[in-house]
Amino acid sequence: MSKSTPLVGRRSWRPKWPVNTDRVFKRRRYFGTKRSVLKLQGQFNPKTLRRELVLTDKKPLFWIAALTILLVLPLGVGNQRFLSLFGIICIYAAINVMWTLIIGTAGLQSFATLATVGVGAYGSAYLSITYGLPWPLMLVAGAGFGALMGWIISLPARRLDGLYYALLTLGLSEFMRNFVTQSDALGGKFNGALFGVAQIVPSDLLTTRAGQSLLYLTAFIALLVILIVFRWVNGGRIGLMLKTAATSKEDESFASAIGVDFQKARTHVFIIASAALGFMGAFYATYIGGTSLQIFSLELLLLMLAMIVIGGLGKAEGALIGTVIVVGITQWFTDWGPWRVVLVGVLALLSVLYTRNGIFGLKAQIQEIRERRQALHRAAITGRYAEYLPQQAPDIHDKSLIVGRVFERTLRDRLKSWIDPDIIKEHELKPMGQHSDHLERMLNYFRKAPIPDKYAVYCVEPFASYRVVALSGLPGVPPRIVDDKTYPSLEEAYHAVFLRRVNDLRAS
Amino acid sequence: MIEVVISAAVLASMYGLVAIGISFTWASIGMLNLAQGFIFTAGGYAAWVFAEFAISAGISGPLLSVGVLTFGMLGSAVAGLAVGSIAFLPLQDRDNFRTRSLIATLAISLIGTQVWLIFFGPQNKPLPPVFGEGRIEFGNAGISYGQLGTIIVASVMLGLVILWMRSSRRGLQMRAMMMNPLGAAVVGVSVRTTGMRVLAISGALTGLSSVLLAQIFFVSPTSGVQPLTVGLIISLAGGLGSIPGTVIAAGLVGLAEAVTARYLQQSLVPFVLFGIVVLILIFRPRGLGGLLEDVRE
Repeated sequence: MSKSTPLVGRRSWRPKWPVNTDRVFKRRRYFGTKRSVLKLQGQFNPKTLRRELVLTDKKPLFWIAALTILLVLPLGVGNQRFLSLFGIICIYAAINVMWTLIIGTAGLQSFATLATVGVGAYGSAYLSITYGLPWPLMLVAGAGFGALMGWIISLPARRLDGLYYALLTLGLSEFMRNFVTQSDALGGKFNGALFGVAQIVPSDLLTTRAGQSLLYLTAFIALLVILIVFRWVNGGRIGLMLKTAATSKEDESFASAIGVDFQKARTHVFIIASAALGFMGAFYATYIGGTSLQIFSLELLLLMLAMIVIGGLGKAEGALIGTVIVVGITQWFTDWGPWRVVLVGVLALLSVLYTRNGIFGLKAQIQEIRERRQALHRAAITGRYAEYLPQQAPDIHDKSLIVGRVFERTLRDRLKSWIDPDIIKEHELKPMGQHSDHLERMLNYFRKAPIPDKYAVYCVEPFASYRVVALSGLPGVPPRIVDDKTYPSLEEAYHAVFLRRVNDLRAS
Repeated sequence: MIEVVISAAVLASMYGLVAIGISFTWASIGMLNLAQGFIFTAGGYAAWVFAEFAISAGISGPLLSVGVLTFGMLGSAVAGLAVGSIAFLPLQDRDNFRTRSLIATLAISLIGTQVWLIFFGPQNKPLPPVFGEGRIEFGNAGISYGQLGTIIVASVMLGLVILWMRSSRRGLQMRAMMMNPLGAAVVGVSVRTTGMRVLAISGALTGLSSVLLAQIFFVSPTSGVQPLTVGLIISLAGGLGSIPGTVIAAGLVGLAEAVTARYLQQSLVPFVLFGIVVLILIFRPRGLGGLLEDVRE
């Protein structure tokens, strides 16, 4: 969006509407922040001669559209399978969005996501079963467990960088799984399954369509909450601080040099995201009325990773679309068996091998490929625009200049192809008078050459001595003598001038 | 007490082989091979297929044992090459190679598990005992043939690989890659060929550990997860790229697991392991032997 709009060529569509200039424009802001709701720019429209407002950032529109579809489609269809599919999409999308916050905003390559979710789920489920905790308190407890877990696993993050941390946290889920299997209180006897957790929707309602819709609605609200948290952290001050230390070691040094304590900011983001993950864990437990060991399986972790890789690493919209694709494949086509996970794996592999950043990196990538192709194409067709480069063309007001140059060039090329010993011989024999068509055209071209540096014949002594000169083109400035040859007759001098001009034409 | 030491040594030799494979790959081609679990199961299944075939053909005794070990290693080496040709060769000269190859290997392991599920089903497959059945008793302790064989075969194989690395031309190329990949490329070591060799060798080590572990557990589509995570932890604690560091870390982790399981609770094993590794990494962020990474940078 920061690029200036090009004068010609493709322009991206941007919604615009006229402004009532009688009223004072009042900027709307998000509640409690100084951020404006829509990025608007006022400008003057030369066609309508009116002022208008242009929306410079279309993202909010897409978000609203996507979330509306996500809300309306399942509720409208009302099919139970559809509702539960989209419920799972909402939950996984929320988890992935928080994972994106950790990977993208905090820049920590952590695989501890599902471990944190599982801790929230198991912790709150245990409390609910043992002490009869109601669901609102469960969500709070889940967030607490998640924050605690986040604090613990963020300790080594300060010392370890990048991939080392990824390795350390990858094993965490497996460890948690082992722990739960061995522990009696967490249902180790029943292969880690805990059931009988307090649910948001009363269980007698669950069989009805209204109950299912309500259940889906809760999942959608949970996703909304998570998206708001994402926006609040990523778009807020802490996210801005972390953007300075985002990509490389040099950035980190730069960040600390300008006084950004990025380590602290990272830990904060990590703990916030972990609390949100714990919250989602508790929500998941109340959503399905229990937990199971599946949450700690490596396969689920890898599926989640495939979701954010397919969508685009580090972007909330990528996490959302990736989740829709992957969960859609794995939960809808259940009769494909293991092949659907293979399909997801192949998709993830393809997006890693061929795209730079998943689906949402595709636009930039295609743009770049297209620009490279266009540059090659332009280089190939430079001839069409004579000395002008095609990208200069929009800036030249008088287009006849371009046409003129193109005409000159084609004319020169044709004349050049006519130069041969015969035509020179013809001119030598008869410099004046009627000529063949080709020679006549060539001479016409020579005659209309501009005066500066035009060759002329200078008479030193009539009928005895002639020389070739070049005109200066300026009043009062005499022509310069080109060489020291003298010609005894006017015809020979004419021919000498002709030869020079032919040479110049050849060299052009 | 002796039994604890023995079980520690067994665990250390099995996990250590996987860890050295991971460590090797990282140091020489800068790729974290998280498809090691897939490679692990590939070896197990190759050995199982051979064992099924051999037993129906009436082969038994030492020939069967050697065959099972060889096929395990071969299967894993081939799987290692497959992983390399998908995740290493196409990505090797692209930007952001490390993250992308990491994700690619994870995707491979996701696919791999399902492929095993499709071809071999979810059932556990047992391997025939390679080292025979029986125990050597001394005093109040004893060691089974399986344990003894595991320790011996793992150490011998590891020794052979280290010897080969030290004394051969190919080993020299690999060591050059581990020290400085760019420098190695400048003096004419092919990064791609050597990288694939490294992947095959670490695959073979992983396959060996797969056959050894199958003496205790079974081969199943997800049997690679546990060795992968423990292998990661060990290679991390040992310092990626350092063989002595990895061996020491493997011993330490094996001991910790054995002691915890014996005197505390089995359920605490993960936490003890994690705690140990975090402690090591807090005091030495590059692991026990990992000064290499500093040199690389």
